[in-house]
Amino acid sequence: MYALSDQQIDFILNDIKIRGVEMEDLQLNLLDHVCCIIECELEPEGDFEDFYHKTILRFFKKELKEIEEETNLLLTFKNYYAMKKTMIRSGIFSAAVIILGSLFKIMHWPGASVMLVLGIGTMSLLFLPLMIILKTKDNSNKRDKFILAISAVLGVFLCWATLFAVMHWPGKGMFWIISICISIFILIPAYFFTGIRNPETKFNTIVTTIILIGASGLLFTMVNIRPAVKQDQIKMYSYIQSEDLLKKIQNKSGGDQKENGTQNSLAEKINTLSEQLKSLILESAIGYKSIPKDFESIGIYMEEGNLGSHFFENGAGIRLLYDLKAEIIKYNASAAISLENKIPIDHSILDIEPDNIGRYSNFSVLNSLTQIQMYVAAADNKLTAIR
Amino acid sequence: MYICLMYSSELIKGTLKTIVLKLLSDNKEMYGYEITQRVKDLTGNKIQITEGALYPTLHALEDDGVVTTEIVNIGKRVRKYYKLTPKGKINATEKVNEFADFINTMKFLLDINLQLG
Repeated sequence: MYALSDQQIDFILNDIKIRGVEMEDLQLNLLDHVCCIIECELEPEGDFEDFYHKTILRFFKKELKEIEEETNLLLTFKNYYAMKKTMIRSGIFSAAVIILGSLFKIMHWPGASVMLVLGIGTMSLLFLPLMIILKTKDNSNKRDKFILAISAVLGVFLCWATLFAVMHWPGKGMFWIISICISIFILIPAYFFTGIRNPETKFNTIVTTIILIGASGLLFTMVNIRPAVKQDQIKMYSYIQSEDLLKKIQNKSGGDQKENGTQNSLAEKINTLSEQLKSLILESAIGYKSIPKDFESIGIYMEEGNLGSHFFENGAGIRLLYDLKAEIIKYNASAAISLENKIPIDHSILDIEPDNIGRYSNFSVLNSLTQIQMYVAAADNKLTAIR
Repeated sequence: MYICLMYSSELIKGTLKTIVLKLLSDNKEMYGYEITQRVKDLTGNKIQITEGALYPTLHALEDDGVVTTEIVNIGKRVRKYYKLTPKGKINATEKVNEFADFINTMKFLLDINLQLG
């Protein structure tokens, strides 16, 4: 029986660590095991180092780290079946909730946003990661593993891009760009060049690659990759300028002419209602109640679209619009308002049937509201000037 | 991950847990090297468990709460003794019974009895 010295034990432990075994438990187990083998099998006068190096080779196929990897695998996949169940359930749940959410969204029913966030969140944060873990474990082929993992990552980014776009959160452009880049520069080349080599998969690879390129191209065309679309940009700046103009006219009339009580309170109501309506529309479009002063530096771009979920939710916007119309009729009927200062109702936002409101774009309604406020402010100015 | 002189590794894949649990239920407590040696002795070298298969399994069993460990200092190094928990004892019996049942089924299925005469 060979007697190991303390230095030799340190040497073995050190070597186990160098070979990449990091779990302390495993290090100690292996150390004891190696020591046992040496003590039992090595002659008292044998060559320790030579024997050790031969012994350690028995522990693995390629490298000692395998044991730790196998341990981790066993510990992770202890919950294999639970994970698989969770994956399937979360997949069904998220798919159902996303479809329902989309339906609610186009019907302008309340709760659409919650469903979409929940559905897309579950899909991207639970279903797809679980799929990567489980499917790459099932698959022994390295190529399939890689393609699957990269597709799932692409799926996560596409999910987020869609979610951010639907919720009008800032940053969707970045997710689109990442998605398209992954697809064009990683997934398609990897898929094509690994598949084309194998004569069996050659034909399928070509067909699928063409479909993938076509789909990516369509996606690229469909979403506006560039952060600002010129048309929308002009519309946005034009609206911002109208707002500035309104502020100027309002400031001019901002004196202390309190004596004309009824007319002033009517004007104030019209202003408040208009502002409330605008904030509903803006909140859906850009996520803020008004366009922030530093909108350029924080990357806010408003896109033309419908009036958005905040406007339609529980009919809030439509109710406000009716209130506004009622106030304007009162305002027009007020004796203090001369004929030329009356606010035109025909052919304006106030003239729209509630069923048709969904067809109007956010920009046109915003501008129409600002114009109403301008009429009020301008009338106010004239009154002040007369006095 | 088995090195086995007689059987293909596919044949006994999945029986390692059963082997370890049975050994631990027959012996109060054992350490890794002891387990490999015992299997070698009992099977007359027909089955040799490799370290690469044994330790991951032992860690998984410990994580499942089927075995507990006790650490004993042996000079400069430590030795981990594995022992069955009450849950492990039930588990060991179940596993052995399951395997025995499996063998009977296979005997029937492969018509081994007749051949053995």
